[in-house]
Formats: sequence, C-alpha cells, structure tokens
Amino acid sequence: MNWLKQIFSRRRVYHELSDEIRQHLDEKIEELVAAGMSKKEAIAAARREFGNVTQVERDGREVWRWPSMEDFLSDFRFAARVLRKNPGFTAVAVLTLALGIGANAALFSVIDAVLLRPLPFHDPGGLVAVHSVDLKDANQGGEISYPAFLDWRSRTHSFEAMSVWSTMGFTYTGGEQPESVTGAMVSANLFSLLGVAPALGRSFTPDEDNPANDELPVIVSYEFWQSHFGGDPGVLGRALTLDNQEFSVVGVMPPRFQFPVQRERVEMWITIARDLQGKSALAAQRGVSYLQVIARRKPGVEISQAQSDVLLVQDQLNRQYPENRPRGANINSESDQIAGAMRPVLLILLGAVGFVLLIACANVASLLLARSTVRQREFTLRAALGASRWTIIRQLLTESLLLAMTGGVLGLLLAHWATGALVAMAPQTLARTSEIALDYRVLAFAFLVALVTGVLFGLAPAIQASRFDLNHVLGENGRGSSAERGGVRLRSLLVASQLAIAFVLLTGAGLLLRSFHHLQHVNPGFRADHVLTFLLDVPSHRHPGAQRAIFVQQILQSTRALPGVKSASAVFGLPLSETQSVFTAAEIEGHPVPPSQRPRVGFRIIESDYFHTMGIPLLQGRTFTARDEQGGPPLAIVNETLARQMFKGENPIGHRIKPSISFGESDEAPLREIVGVTADVKSGSIGGKTVPEIYAPQTPTDFIGEMTVVVRTMNDPEALVPAMRSLVSSLDKDLPLRQVKTLDQYVSGSISAPRFDALLLGIFAALAFVLTTIGLYGVISYSVVQRTREMGIRIALGAQPGSISRMVMREGSLLTLSGVGAGLLFSLFAVRLLRGLLFGTGEIDPATFIAVPLLLMAVALVASYIPARRATQVDPIIALRCE
Amino acid sequence: MKNSAQRDLFPGALEMMILRTLKRQPLHGYALVQHIKRTSDDLLQIEEGSLYPALQRLLKEELVKAEWGISSTNRRVRIYKLTAAGAKHLERQVSSFEKMLEGITRVLARGES
Repeated sequence: MNWLKQIFSRRRVYHELSDEIRQHLDEKIEELVAAGMSKKEAIAAARREFGNVTQVERDGREVWRWPSMEDFLSDFRFAARVLRKNPGFTAVAVLTLALGIGANAALFSVIDAVLLRPLPFHDPGGLVAVHSVDLKDANQGGEISYPAFLDWRSRTHSFEAMSVWSTMGFTYTGGEQPESVTGAMVSANLFSLLGVAPALGRSFTPDEDNPANDELPVIVSYEFWQSHFGGDPGVLGRALTLDNQEFSVVGVMPPRFQFPVQRERVEMWITIARDLQGKSALAAQRGVSYLQVIARRKPGVEISQAQSDVLLVQDQLNRQYPENRPRGANINSESDQIAGAMRPVLLILLGAVGFVLLIACANVASLLLARSTVRQREFTLRAALGASRWTIIRQLLTESLLLAMTGGVLGLLLAHWATGALVAMAPQTLARTSEIALDYRVLAFAFLVALVTGVLFGLAPAIQASRFDLNHVLGENGRGSSAERGGVRLRSLLVASQLAIAFVLLTGAGLLLRSFHHLQHVNPGFRADHVLTFLLDVPSHRHPGAQRAIFVQQILQSTRALPGVKSASAVFGLPLSETQSVFTAAEIEGHPVPPSQRPRVGFRIIESDYFHTMGIPLLQGRTFTARDEQGGPPLAIVNETLARQMFKGENPIGHRIKPSISFGESDEAPLREIVGVTADVKSGSIGGKTVPEIYAPQTPTDFIGEMTVVVRTMNDPEALVPAMRSLVSSLDKDLPLRQVKTLDQYVSGSISAPRFDALLLGIFAALAFVLTTIGLYGVISYSVVQRTREMGIRIALGAQPGSISRMVMREGSLLTLSGVGAGLLFSLFAVRLLRGLLFGTGEIDPATFIAVPLLLMAVALVASYIPARRATQVDPIIALRCE
Repeated sequence: MKNSAQRDLFPGALEMMILRTLKRQPLHGYALVQHIKRTSDDLLQIEEGSLYPALQRLLKEELVKAEWGISSTNRRVRIYKLTAAGAKHLERQVSSFEKMLEGITRVLARGES
C-alpha cells in the first residue's frame, strides 16, 4: 500500500522539495556573501551553480509520478479547462457531435434489433421460410394449402422439421367483455422446431394436429397468462372460449416469446386441427392456399439444395393436380424473411446517418483548425518551453476526445428520445420493434463512434497545429504563417466535401419526398374521409344459416338510424385492410379456359349500399338492390380493369362470369350475370397496381362471416365508436368490434413505409444541410478575419468596396461550385440505391436535380455574402494598427 | 548552460556517491553537495540542482530517509540518513562498480602496451 500512501502524501513531498531547494540557494548565497561577494552577484552565482530550478523541481517531482497515466490525467484536466473557458465553441462543437452521434446511435439501435441480433430461437441460422409461389403471378401468395404442405413435408429430405402457421384474430369470451386477441394456428411440432419449450405445462403432441373428440389444446403467452389469469399455475387444463369453441390450456410460453416475429403481439397458439374439423374443412382443401411454412434445415444442407428439393416435389404436385394453378417454391432464411423489405431501407438510412456524422466531424474539425490558428502562439510558447511535438498533438487529441465523449453522452440522451419517436412512426413491416432498446450494445457502439469521431476530427487539426517553425512564428508575430495557410486549404477541402455529401443526401431526400407526395395524391378510387370501419366476425352457431346475413342487415339498419350517420354498408374484403379480398380464378361463359390459364381476380361480397357509402363511382349498368339480396339468379359487378382485360372493349353487361368460389352446400361455383361496371379501387396498397375485381351481392346463401361494416359519417367518424359498440352489444352481447379504424387510417397506414423512409432521410438531409451551411459560413468569415490586414491595405490603396466583396464572394462561389459539382457526380450513382423505393418519379428526377443545386448555391451565396459585406467595412486604419 | 563542458557521470554514479557520503554521516542537501564537490577536488563538476532529483529517487526507493532538523548554521534543513536497505544497496553497487572499473582498467592497460 506504499504507492497509495505516496499518492496521498505527494503534495507534501512536492512542497518539501521546493522548500529544500530554496533553503539550499539561501545557504549558498549567504556563504558567497560571507566570502565577500555582493548580494546581487551572489544570487546570480548561486543560481548558475544550481542549474535550472524549475527543471530540477520538475525532475524531482517526476520521480513520484506514474508517467503515462498522469500525463493523460493532466492533459485531461487541461483540456477540460480549455473547453470550459470557451463555452461558445464548446457548445457548438458538442451539440454538433451530439446530433451526429445521437442520430447514429438511434438508428443503430433499430438496425441492431431488426437486422443484427439473432432471432430468439434455438440455432436461428437453420430456420428458413418456405414459400409456395404462384408461377403466373409472382406478386401473389407465398401461402400453401394444408394438403400440399403435407406432401412437401413427407416427400422432401432436406429438413429436420417443417411447420405451417397462420395468424388469426380470435374472439375471446370468458372475461367480462368479449375481447379480440391475436393468435396463431400452427403445426403441433412448431415449438420443438423452434427449440423453445413452454415455461409451464407442455408443448403440443404430434397427434394434436388431428381433430379430436375432446377439447382442442391451446398454449398461451406468458403475458396473456399474467394479464388474464394473474399468473395462476392452475391455468393448465382450464377451458378457454375462442370464437365460441372451447380449447383446453396445456401450456404457457416463456416471457417475451413471440411467434411469428411481428409487430403485433401474438397471445395464443392452437393447432391446425381446428381447420380440419367438419365436412368442408378449410385445411382439407388443396385449392385453398392460406398457410405459411417455416422449416429447419438439416445440418449441412444449403438453402439452394433445400430449394431444389422442394421444387422437385412441387413439380410432381403440379402434374398430379392439374386443376390447380401451377406453383413453384422459394426459400429464404427466416431472419431475411423477417427483416424483409426493411433491410435495404435501413442500410441506406445508416449510410445517410453516417454521412451526417462525417459532416458533423468536418464542421468540428474546421472549428478546431480555426482555433488552432488562434492558439498558435500558445503552442509556440509551449514548444519554446520544451514541449515536444507529440506532447502538443497529445494535448489537442485529448481535447478532441473530451469533446467527442461529451457529445456522445449528450447524443445518447438524444438517441433515447429519438428511438422512441422512430418506433412510434415505424411502419408495420418493421418487425421486432419490441426488442429495440438502448442496451449495452448500443452504448458500446456509441462509445466506439465517439472515439473514432474524436480521432477523426481531431487528428488533422492537431497535426496541423503542431507543424510550425518556432522562429518563424515568433518572429512573424504569428501572422500569415504557412501553417495557417495550410489550415485554410484543409478547411476549404472539408467544406467542399461537406457540400458534396449534403448534395447527395438532399437529392435522395428530395426523390423520396417527391415519391411520397405522389403517393399521397394517388386516388384510391374511394372517398376515404369520414368513414368508420370495423370488423364483425358473425358467429354461425348463434346466428345459423340465413340468420347471419339478416343479423348484419339489422346492425346496418340500426346504424343508419344513428344521428350523424350518412350511410352504412358492409363488405367482405375491405380495400387496404388485411382481408383486402380473396383471390380466385375466373372465366367468362362461352370462353372456356383450362384452369391453370384462368386469370386471377379479386372477389368481394358487398351489401347493396357499399358503392354509395364508399364513394366508388358506377361507370355502367346498375348497382345491387335490396331485392338482389333476397336470393335469385347470381349477379356480379366488375371493375374497370376486369372489363378492359377480360372483355377487351366489348360491353360486359349481360355476360356471365364464373369466379371459382362456391358457398354453402353447393360444390359448383355459380355463373354470375354482370349487371354493372365500377371504377377501379386500390385494393392491396396505394402504390400497387389495380387488379381485376368482381363484386357479388350478399344473399342468405352467399355470405362470409367476417364482414367489415363501413359507416359514412357527417362529423368525426371516431366519435361514433361508443355508439356503435353499444349498438352491436345490444344485438349480440358476446360480439366484439374488431379492427376499429377509419378508412383514412387504412390509407395512411398503406403509405407508412414510404413516409418513414422519406421522413428519416429528410431529417438527415436537413441536418446535413444546416451543418454544411454553418461550416461554409464559418470558413468564409474566418478567412475574411484572417485577411483583415490585406483588406485594409487594399482599401487604403483605393480598392472599391465592390471589388473587395466580389473577391470574397468569388472564394465562396469557387468552394460551392466544386462541392456541388462533386455532389452532382456522386448523386448520379447514389440515387440508384433508391430505385426500389421510388413511386411516380425516376431516379434522375429533373426537378430534384435542379432544385438541390439551386438551393445549395443560394444558401452558399448568403453564407458568403455576410462575411463579404463585413470585409468591405474594414477600416484600413484599424486593420493596419492591429500590427 | 554548461552541460556540454560537464564530465558526464554514468547512470547511478551520483546516487552511489550520495549513499557513500551519507554512510559516513547524515547530511542535509547543501552540505552533501559541497562535500561531494570538495572530496572530488572539483574534478566532478556537478550541477548542484541535479542532486535533488537523485535524492527524491533514493527517498522513493527508501534507500535513504529524511528528517527536518536544524543545521550547524542554524537553518531549518532536511537531513538525509542512510537506511539499512540503502547500506546494502551501496555495497552491491560499489562491488559491481569496482568490477567494472577493473575491467575497463585492464582493457585500457592492454591498449597501451
């Protein structure tokens, strides 16, 4: 513990040393005086004999120190003092860095959760998503029918295990209120495939894939168990009523377990057995593709091998069942599947935010360069007192690192706030958002970024500052030295690069904003304002047969009577919703087409007031009437696209069309007479293509349980929600309203991803733009200050103010032009990255490519005009007296 | 500065001389340096100041200890004393120095003949 004692007693030791040296000198002087010297001579002689007192004291102290650690500490203390003494400079630098580092940390926390962290399953690398692809229509599907899946599972050899899954909304009755919960229907082996065991109870057994006589099993999430059963272990064996069917709880999953990995929480899992019950069970039909597939590769089997394995089996199936449309197969790793469409966007944004940080670095480096010119005398003095070049570089780097670290800490605070905002506005396609957190990985990332940043912006100015010629600087009074001119050159280079980077970001943001603007002005084909929608899953056992349609009619009639309601209707397959429509094949009477050649069409069932309520114009013929809903010959209304594609100019009214969908007892799909043609609507997404679509009237026989009620209101549609709830509850107390949303919300949800992209890139570009402007202004005005004397001389010699300001402006323009030129070049390459994200505009959008350089040049002009004006106001007398 | 004119001491030489001097009697800094200068008949020109860092090193390694006291000229001074460890260290240093000196002398003598 001796060293510890030494550290604490050090101040005393130093003090004693100084004391002792003073005593020594006194004694010597006294002795010399006694020998006959004058006092003055004696002092000089004593000092001469002794040597450099300061040096001796320092050497003596150094004995007690730990050199590197303490050098660092003293550098650090000194740096802190320097920064404290320049609060303006420090604030600007720290804030700039905080913005840069904070933006990076926030984005990294998203990317880490969404792209980098392995999925929370056993050996996630082996998991793959297997898609069944419609060979005729690559945009559709990915889902498979259960019989086809069973063939895949039994005939392929590349997989250890294969499961189906499909998310669904359940109506859970058993609490005080009917409640809609999100669940998933899965194969019994799913949990063993994922390698996650229940925290309580058991997993499904293999035979639970088959319908049984007793209750079907259900496994619930830990969170559902906590919120609905208070974490009671006695939950096992309890009955759960879902969609009016009883399930028996067999297990509880561990906390935070989530499958499928998606934005919305999944609360419970049942087996495929539910869809195998009854006569025309959904999962028993080879033509009904509605299931997703996840599988685990056998060790050593590559994705490509697995894919050809599945393709081979699918080929056999295509030949075996020619009545179905031919399908292919496609395999992705599960992590790619989940990151999906967000990966390229996030990487582009990461690039953008990295550039913002570079610009921030350049700004701070530029500030430091300016300051190091001012501090030249300080460095020179220190060098004269014996500081080595390395000592000065070390000191300046310590200052930079201190700045960067302070900026980093502040940046993390910003990131904490920004991450919340990011998650809030993230589109649904961004999965795993619940895993986003400022954890140690983000902290480590931010620390590393700050460290690299500090060295990046600090090194060049430090080297620049330490490179001077002692005699020259001291002799020249520190003006116009070569180091200074070098500094100006370096700063100009920095500013030109900043301009180039800002150009690229602004161009990208401009393109995305224009795309978003185009999307916002796409006509969806219906009037989205003032419409409330909600889903009713009408249970068939309480409203059997024809009662279901009558029940919906009752609700609609009561709704129309509510104050503030203009009209109300119902539809199976609301555009832009998750159940946008079902797809089926169709053929026209008299034009037989083999099944595999039939075009795919969207199919909706509507109540007669649907077009009126939605504001979809009728182009030809008539809409359905109340009488059509009583039954009678099957009817259809088609959209414009179908009329154009399938009838090719012929009038479709009066023709009969057969969408391959049958209802009720009959196995044969009916021929439907076309009575009208309506305008197209955007069904899948606002930016997507319109597809051929068929509308059929709801009749007692032609009815699907999941109807979406649409209500057009006079005022705020959301104000109607309580009235609707009590209305539905008064007619059926166990029926919850699901997915209560306005039509406007569906529209804006459909463009939430482009909005997210445009907004983020826009923010980053704006940051880059502002920082660059500040940088440019700083460089120009600094160079004016540097040249005050020159300006003074010029004015004294009769230069006109105009020529002086022109000279300064020329400097600014030169910088701007070179930066903008370089930016233009880079942009031409960089915009290619955005190819997949654009809508309604090309990569080389003339408006963007004209606006961005104009904007940058205009701002640059202003940024150099202010200093230029100041230059003309230089008073020659003062400027020259400065010497 | 007359560093260039100074006959350089090898590392540790000053320390060795300090220890040797203190072995005879405890002294304070000024007396110590005067003694060394006098004994060497001013052959060794030592900057007086250079004594102090050397003393600090010896203090840190606990080869000497110091106490404040009153000098013969009635001054408050720090008097240095050899410790047991210091005595042992001196012995080792002197013997290794003597070996080195003998080696050097032999080489020099061989060179003359």
